[in-house]
Amino acid sequence: MSLKDSIRSTTVADRILLIFLLFISFFSLLLTKEVLSRSKEVSIEVDGEVRYIYPLDTDRKVYVEGSHGHLTVEIKDRGVRVTDSSCPNKLCQRQGWVRAGAIICIPGRISVTVGGSEKSKGVTPDAITG
Amino acid sequence: MDTLVTIQVVAKRPERAEKAIDRAFAEIKRLGDLLNFYSEESELAKINRSAGISDVKVSPETLDLIEKAVSTSGKTGGTFDVTIGPEIILWDFAEKKKPDDGTIKERLNLVNYQWIAIDREKSTISLMKRGMLIDLGGIAKGYIADRAVEELKREGIVSGLVAVAGDIRAFGDKPDGRPWRVGIRNPRQSGRDDEIMAMIELKDMAISTAGDYERFFIADGNRYHHILDPKTGYPAKASRSVSVIAREGAFTDSYSTAVFILGPEKGLEVLRKMGFEGLIVDEHGKVHTTDGLRDRIEFKRLDS
Repeated sequence: MSLKDSIRSTTVADRILLIFLLFISFFSLLLTKEVLSRSKEVSIEVDGEVRYIYPLDTDRKVYVEGSHGHLTVEIKDRGVRVTDSSCPNKLCQRQGWVRAGAIICIPGRISVTVGGSEKSKGVTPDAITG
Repeated sequence: MDTLVTIQVVAKRPERAEKAIDRAFAEIKRLGDLLNFYSEESELAKINRSAGISDVKVSPETLDLIEKAVSTSGKTGGTFDVTIGPEIILWDFAEKKKPDDGTIKERLNLVNYQWIAIDREKSTISLMKRGMLIDLGGIAKGYIADRAVEELKREGIVSGLVAVAGDIRAFGDKPDGRPWRVGIRNPRQSGRDDEIMAMIELKDMAISTAGDYERFFIADGNRYHHILDPKTGYPAKASRSVSVIAREGAFTDSYSTAVFILGPEKGLEVLRKMGFEGLIVDEHGKVHTTDGLRDRIEFKRLDS
């Protein structure tokens, strides 16, 4: 049976089912993309406490002021780097672009981590009552 | 206010988040100053000083909060009662000394929420008996969390969480599209601090917990803690910890105290009647929950 024949032999119900399935797969593709892109974030901690959490897929520059120093974080093309820092050795700046892992500025007590934070994974709660 | 407050907000720009957080903290400080039991300057202190003498003109927030307190008292048959002040001041948890039984009994004559006169028109409050004292410790923190959330919303914030100690109000979703997650502390920590017994997701809801482990001492094998039963003047014994979930922090705060005193059976009945959700760890450590909470709560393994 040729392809033409098989198309001709389908019923209306078959066609509706086909369209429905195409529809479902198309939307699940969109949904997966959406969910996956959401899963990564950049968390910036100052003095051991989470100060900011940003999505990795939105480009921006953030100025972070801590009690021991300050730095500027740039998020671009799903990567993160420190563009400016008040610390003397600038090790954090020299680390360049990071797509996974962390940039830690020890003198400034500021850390920038790429990946799901413990909070977003639901390991640690956002707050504790009691 | 000697309380740890944390505020988390979701915003597109950090400046916007910082500004909203600053405004919310300013509101928290303002309310803390109005409602502070221990400050001579607070409106609450003025009401207490004028007990049995005159009525006191107060700000709308103080009036609103005391009205809510009286409402909880009415609906719990006086199990929650902010006029517990004269009993509270007898207890010194740092000194670990139990007050004299006779004095506790005597002061019960000063505890009755029905002797609070509220005049909405004139915006005044008065206490009818000399020596009466209002202590808002069981409701103010939840109310302040409510007001801080209102302030954040006024600043255009659509998602955030305010925690005034254990009184927490959350609104909106986190950036990953999920609700805020709140851990409920295990009332009998087996070692490390902040041990969590259960986790719950909150959206546009508040949660508060009343526990016998916050301020307490142990003497003669008895645990004496800060949640006093207004009917006896002694620490309530029916529960170890009670968490209540409802829309407003003022209610989760006050009902968690009331349900703690009532214990699991009557407590669950009150929660059902009010349409609130809750979790009770009773005096033996057994956990009771409202029906609606069962599927929404995630229990952690407990060693105790």
